Amino acid sequence: MAVVVRSFRHVAEEMGYPRAVITRHPMGRPLGPPGDPDTQRQVIDAALDLLVSAPEGGSIVELEKPYRPMKSP
Amino acid sequence: MSGDSQETFGDFKDSFSYGSRSDLSFKFLKGLSHQEASEFLSVLLEEVGSLFDDGSTDALVDLVYEWQVRAYRPTTAAKRPYVYEDRPFHELTKSLGEMSVGLVTSSGHYMSDDRPAANAGLTQGEAFARIGEFLRRAPELSEIPVDAPIEDVEVLHPGYDIRSVVKDRGVALPIDLLDEARATGRIRRLVSPVYSFVGACSQGRLRNELDEWVARWKAAGIDALFLVPV
Repeated sequence: MAVVVRSFRHVAEEMGYPRAVITRHPMGRPLGPPGDPDTQRQVIDAALDLLVSAPEGGSIVELEKPYRPMKSP
Repeated sequence: MSGDSQETFGDFKDSFSYGSRSDLSFKFLKGLSHQEASEFLSVLLEEVGSLFDDGSTDALVDLVYEWQVRAYRPTTAAKRPYVYEDRPFHELTKSLGEMSVGLVTSSGHYMSDDRPAANAGLTQGEAFARIGEFLRRAPELSEIPVDAPIEDVEVLHPGYDIRSVVKDRGVALPIDLLDEARATGRIRRLVSPVYSFVGACSQGRLRNELDEWVARWKAAGIDALFLVPV
Protein backbone atom coordinates (compact mmCIF):
# COMPACT_ATOMS: atom_id res chain seq x y z
CA MET A 1 0.00 0.00 0.00
CA ALA A 2 1.12 3.59 -0.48
CA VAL A 3 0.51 7.22 0.33
CA VAL A 4 1.69 10.09 -1.85
CA VAL A 5 2.60 13.61 -0.72
CA ARG A 6 2.60 16.21 -3.45
CA SER A 7 1.45 19.59 -4.69
CA PHE A 8 -1.09 20.01 -7.51
CA ARG A 9 -4.31 18.20 -6.71
CA HIS A 10 -5.28 17.74 -10.35
CA VAL A 11 -2.38 15.31 -10.84
CA ALA A 12 -3.49 13.17 -7.91
CA GLU A 13 -7.08 13.16 -9.17
CA GLU A 14 -6.06 12.17 -12.66
CA MET A 15 -3.58 9.45 -11.64
CA GLY A 16 -5.85 7.87 -9.04
CA TYR A 17 -3.26 7.37 -6.32
CA PRO A 18 -4.38 5.00 -3.56
CA ARG A 19 -3.99 7.83 -1.04
CA ALA A 20 -2.69 11.36 -1.52
CA VAL A 21 -2.00 14.31 0.73
CA ILE A 22 -1.97 17.54 -1.25
CA THR A 23 0.01 20.51 -0.01
CA ARG A 24 -0.50 24.03 -1.27
CA HIS A 25 3.22 24.48 -1.81
CA PRO A 26 5.09 25.78 -4.83
CA MET A 27 6.74 23.19 -7.03
CA GLY A 28 9.80 21.56 -5.50
CA ARG A 29 8.71 21.98 -1.88
CA PRO A 30 6.14 19.24 -1.26
CA LEU A 31 6.74 18.76 2.48
CA GLY A 32 7.13 22.43 3.32
CA PRO A 33 9.58 25.31 3.60
CA PRO A 34 13.25 24.73 4.43
CA GLY A 35 13.99 25.01 8.13
CA ASP A 36 10.33 24.44 9.09
CA PRO A 37 10.12 20.99 10.68
CA ASP A 38 6.77 21.81 12.29
CA THR A 39 5.08 22.20 8.91
CA GLN A 40 6.91 19.20 7.48
CA ARG A 41 5.87 17.14 10.51
CA GLN A 42 2.21 18.15 10.05
CA VAL A 43 2.35 16.95 6.45
CA ILE A 44 3.93 13.64 7.44
CA ASP A 45 1.36 13.13 10.19
CA ALA A 46 -1.47 13.80 7.74
CA ALA A 47 0.01 11.26 5.34
CA LEU A 48 0.43 8.60 8.02
CA ASP A 49 -3.13 9.27 9.22
CA LEU A 50 -4.39 8.80 5.66
CA LEU A 51 -2.62 5.44 5.41
CA VAL A 52 -4.93 4.30 8.18
CA SER A 53 -8.13 6.20 7.41
CA ALA A 54 -8.48 6.05 3.62
CA PRO A 55 -11.58 4.02 2.74
CA GLU A 56 -10.83 3.42 -0.94
CA GLY A 57 -8.46 4.18 -3.81
CA GLY A 58 -8.31 7.77 -4.92
CA SER A 59 -8.59 9.12 -1.37
CA ILE A 60 -7.29 12.68 -1.21
CA VAL A 61 -6.71 15.00 1.74
CA GLU A 62 -5.78 18.56 0.83
CA LEU A 63 -4.03 20.57 3.52
CA GLU A 64 -5.22 24.17 3.50
CA LYS A 65 -2.19 25.74 5.15
CA PRO A 66 -0.46 28.00 2.62
CA TYR A 67 3.29 27.95 2.09
CA ARG A 68 4.95 30.40 4.41
CA PRO A 69 8.75 30.45 4.41
CA MET A 70 10.56 30.95 7.67
CA LYS A 71 11.69 34.52 8.24
CA SER A 72 15.44 35.03 8.20
CA PRO A 73 16.82 36.08 11.59
CA MET B 1 18.19 51.00 -21.87
CA SER B 2 19.53 50.63 -25.35
CA GLY B 3 20.38 47.44 -27.10
CA ASP B 4 20.10 45.76 -30.43
CA SER B 5 18.32 42.66 -29.18
CA GLN B 6 15.29 41.65 -31.18
CA GLU B 7 13.89 39.50 -28.40
CA THR B 8 10.11 39.30 -28.47
CA PHE B 9 7.86 39.01 -25.44
CA GLY B 10 7.37 35.37 -26.39
CA ASP B 11 11.14 34.85 -26.46
CA PHE B 12 11.37 36.52 -23.05
CA LYS B 13 8.70 34.39 -21.36
CA ASP B 14 10.05 31.20 -22.94
CA SER B 15 13.59 31.96 -21.77
CA PHE B 16 12.67 30.93 -18.21
CA SER B 17 12.20 27.34 -19.36
CA TYR B 18 15.69 25.98 -20.06
CA GLY B 19 16.63 29.16 -21.89
CA SER B 20 18.81 32.14 -21.21
CA ARG B 21 16.96 33.00 -17.97
CA SER B 22 16.24 29.45 -16.87
CA ASP B 23 14.44 29.44 -13.51
CA LEU B 24 12.54 26.27 -12.82
CA SER B 25 10.12 27.97 -10.44
CA PHE B 26 8.97 30.05 -13.41
CA LYS B 27 9.43 27.65 -16.31
CA PHE B 28 5.64 27.49 -16.44
CA LEU B 29 5.66 30.85 -18.23
CA LYS B 30 6.49 28.99 -21.44
CA GLY B 31 3.15 27.21 -21.34
CA LEU B 32 1.14 30.40 -20.92
CA SER B 33 -0.30 32.46 -23.72
CA HIS B 34 1.07 35.98 -24.16
CA GLN B 35 -2.06 37.34 -22.51
CA GLU B 36 -1.79 34.99 -19.55
CA ALA B 37 1.92 35.68 -19.09
CA SER B 38 1.26 39.41 -19.27
CA GLU B 39 -1.46 39.08 -16.64
CA PHE B 40 0.80 37.09 -14.34
CA LEU B 41 3.74 39.47 -14.64
CA SER B 42 1.50 42.48 -14.12
CA VAL B 43 0.04 41.12 -10.90
CA LEU B 44 3.48 39.91 -9.79
CA LEU B 45 4.91 43.40 -10.10
CA GLU B 46 1.89 44.87 -8.34
CA GLU B 47 2.48 42.55 -5.41
CA VAL B 48 6.19 43.43 -5.38
CA GLY B 49 5.16 47.06 -5.04
CA SER B 50 2.83 46.25 -2.16
CA LEU B 51 5.56 44.59 -0.16
CA PHE B 52 7.53 47.85 -0.15
CA ASP B 53 4.97 49.00 2.39
CA ASP B 54 3.87 45.90 4.28
CA GLY B 55 7.00 43.79 3.92
CA SER B 56 4.94 40.65 3.48
CA THR B 57 5.79 38.11 0.80
CA ASP B 58 2.67 36.01 1.49
CA ALA B 59 0.73 37.36 -1.48
CA LEU B 60 3.72 36.82 -3.78
CA VAL B 61 4.09 33.20 -2.71
CA ASP B 62 0.36 32.58 -3.10
CA LEU B 63 0.35 34.21 -6.53
CA VAL B 64 3.19 32.03 -7.84
CA TYR B 65 1.60 28.88 -6.41
CA GLU B 66 -1.79 29.66 -7.98
CA TRP B 67 -0.25 30.32 -11.37
CA GLN B 68 1.84 27.14 -11.21
CA VAL B 69 -1.37 25.20 -10.57
CA ARG B 70 -3.12 27.02 -13.41
CA ALA B 71 -0.23 26.54 -15.83
CA TYR B 72 0.36 22.85 -15.12
CA ARG B 73 -3.28 21.79 -15.31
CA PRO B 74 -3.81 20.34 -18.80
CA THR B 75 -6.55 22.10 -20.70
CA THR B 76 -7.03 19.58 -23.48
CA ALA B 77 -7.07 15.82 -23.84
CA ALA B 78 -4.04 16.12 -26.10
CA LYS B 79 -2.02 17.28 -23.12
CA ARG B 80 -2.88 14.14 -21.15
CA PRO B 81 -0.47 11.50 -22.48
CA TYR B 82 -1.54 8.81 -20.01
CA VAL B 83 -4.99 7.55 -19.06
CA TYR B 84 -5.51 5.94 -15.68
CA GLU B 85 -8.54 3.69 -15.53
CA ASP B 86 -8.35 2.20 -12.07
CA ARG B 87 -7.83 3.32 -8.51
CA PRO B 88 -5.47 0.73 -6.94
CA PHE B 89 -5.95 0.20 -3.23
CA HIS B 90 -4.87 -2.28 -0.60
CA GLU B 91 -6.41 -2.25 2.84
CA LEU B 92 -4.25 -2.28 5.93
CA THR B 93 -3.42 -5.67 7.38
CA LYS B 94 -1.64 -4.32 10.44
CA SER B 95 -1.66 -1.18 12.54
CA LEU B 96 0.55 1.78 11.73
CA GLY B 97 2.67 1.03 14.79
CA GLU B 98 3.39 -2.43 13.36
CA MET B 99 4.32 -1.18 9.90
CA SER B 100 7.67 -1.01 8.14
CA VAL B 101 7.49 2.12 5.98
CA GLY B 102 9.65 2.74 2.93
CA LEU B 103 10.41 6.16 1.44
CA VAL B 104 10.74 6.79 -2.29
CA THR B 105 11.18 10.23 -3.84
CA SER B 106 11.76 11.53 -7.35
CA SER B 107 13.79 14.40 -5.90
CA GLY B 108 17.13 13.29 -7.33
CA HIS B 109 18.99 12.65 -4.06
CA TYR B 110 21.96 10.29 -3.94
CA MET B 111 24.98 9.41 -1.80
CA SER B 112 28.00 11.53 -2.67
CA ASP B 113 30.12 8.38 -3.07
CA ASP B 114 27.53 6.67 -5.30
CA ARG B 115 26.58 9.28 -7.86
CA PRO B 116 24.20 8.15 -10.63
CA ALA B 117 25.99 7.66 -13.94
CA ALA B 118 23.72 10.20 -15.65
CA ASN B 119 24.87 12.90 -13.21
CA ALA B 120 28.57 12.17 -13.39
CA GLY B 121 30.59 15.38 -13.36
CA LEU B 122 27.54 17.62 -13.90
CA THR B 123 26.65 20.73 -12.02
CA GLN B 124 22.98 21.64 -11.63
CA GLY B 125 23.41 24.27 -14.36
CA GLU B 126 24.99 21.74 -16.70
CA ALA B 127 22.13 19.35 -16.01
CA PHE B 128 19.67 22.06 -17.14
CA ALA B 129 21.45 22.20 -20.48
CA ARG B 130 21.05 18.44 -20.87
CA ILE B 131 17.39 18.16 -19.92
CA GLY B 132 16.65 16.50 -23.24
CA GLU B 133 19.16 13.74 -22.49
CA PHE B 134 17.73 13.21 -19.03
CA LEU B 135 14.20 12.89 -20.43
CA ARG B 136 15.33 10.12 -22.79
CA ARG B 137 17.22 8.14 -20.15
CA ALA B 138 16.11 5.28 -17.93
CA PRO B 139 15.96 6.29 -14.26
CA GLU B 140 18.60 5.16 -11.79
CA LEU B 141 17.39 4.31 -8.31
CA SER B 142 19.73 5.63 -5.61
CA GLU B 143 19.88 4.11 -2.15
CA ILE B 144 20.35 6.37 0.87
CA PRO B 145 20.86 4.82 4.31
CA VAL B 146 18.52 6.21 6.93
CA ASP B 147 21.53 7.11 9.09
CA ALA B 148 23.49 8.76 6.28
CA PRO B 149 25.06 12.02 7.48
CA ILE B 150 23.39 15.05 5.92
CA GLU B 151 26.69 16.16 4.40
CA ASP B 152 27.00 12.85 2.48
CA VAL B 153 23.65 13.21 0.69
CA GLU B 154 23.57 15.35 -2.43
CA VAL B 155 20.89 16.31 -4.93
CA LEU B 156 20.85 17.06 -8.62
CA HIS B 157 17.72 17.33 -10.72
CA PRO B 158 17.17 19.32 -13.92
CA GLY B 159 13.39 19.35 -13.58
CA TYR B 160 12.62 21.48 -10.52
CA ASP B 161 14.05 24.33 -8.48
CA ILE B 162 16.29 22.55 -5.95
CA ARG B 163 17.23 25.65 -3.96
CA SER B 164 14.91 24.75 -1.08
CA VAL B 165 15.88 21.11 -0.92
CA VAL B 166 19.59 22.02 -0.92
CA LYS B 167 18.94 24.11 2.19
CA ASP B 168 16.88 21.37 3.88
CA ARG B 169 16.50 17.85 2.56
CA GLY B 170 13.31 17.48 4.56
CA VAL B 171 11.57 19.64 1.94
CA ALA B 172 11.43 16.60 -0.37
CA LEU B 173 13.38 13.77 1.33
CA PRO B 174 11.79 13.45 4.78
CA ILE B 175 14.20 10.86 6.17
CA ASP B 176 14.70 12.63 9.48
CA LEU B 177 11.05 13.20 10.39
CA LEU B 178 9.99 9.72 9.27
CA ASP B 179 12.79 8.37 11.47
CA GLU B 180 11.37 10.52 14.25
CA ALA B 181 8.02 8.81 13.65
CA ARG B 182 9.84 5.52 14.15
CA ALA B 183 11.52 6.75 17.34
CA THR B 184 8.17 7.83 18.81
CA GLY B 185 6.55 4.52 17.92
CA ARG B 186 4.20 5.99 15.32
CA ILE B 187 5.58 3.48 12.85
CA ARG B 188 7.56 0.34 13.66
CA ARG B 189 10.39 0.92 11.22
CA LEU B 190 11.65 3.28 8.54
CA VAL B 191 13.21 0.80 6.14
CA SER B 192 16.82 1.49 5.27
CA PRO B 193 17.89 2.40 2.67
CA VAL B 194 15.40 4.96 1.41
CA TYR B 195 15.23 5.48 -2.33
CA SER B 196 15.40 8.40 -4.73
CA PHE B 197 15.67 8.96 -8.46
CA VAL B 198 15.52 11.82 -10.93
CA GLY B 199 11.92 12.05 -12.00
CA ALA B 200 12.95 13.92 -15.16
CA CYS B 201 13.56 10.69 -17.07
CA SER B 202 11.93 8.66 -19.80
CA GLN B 203 8.50 7.82 -18.39
CA GLY B 204 8.28 4.74 -20.59
CA ARG B 205 11.62 3.46 -19.29
CA LEU B 206 10.52 4.28 -15.76
CA ARG B 207 7.52 2.01 -16.27
CA ASN B 208 9.88 -0.75 -17.40
CA GLU B 209 11.87 -0.50 -14.16
CA LEU B 210 8.93 -0.61 -11.78
CA ASP B 211 8.45 -4.37 -11.50
CA GLU B 212 12.08 -4.80 -10.44
CA TRP B 213 11.92 -1.84 -8.08
CA VAL B 214 8.72 -3.12 -6.43
CA ALA B 215 10.32 -6.56 -6.03
CA ARG B 216 13.27 -4.91 -4.23
CA TRP B 217 10.98 -2.99 -1.93
CA LYS B 218 8.95 -6.08 -1.09
CA ALA B 219 12.16 -8.03 -0.43
CA ALA B 220 13.22 -5.23 1.95
CA GLY B 221 10.12 -5.92 4.02
CA ILE B 222 8.29 -2.69 3.20
CA ASP B 223 4.62 -2.75 4.24
CA ALA B 224 3.72 0.74 3.02
CA LEU B 225 5.42 3.21 0.72
CA PHE B 226 5.67 6.92 1.51
CA LEU B 227 6.00 8.45 -1.95
CA VAL B 228 7.13 11.99 -2.67
CA PRO B 229 6.98 12.92 -6.35
CA VAL B 230 8.54 16.31 -6.99
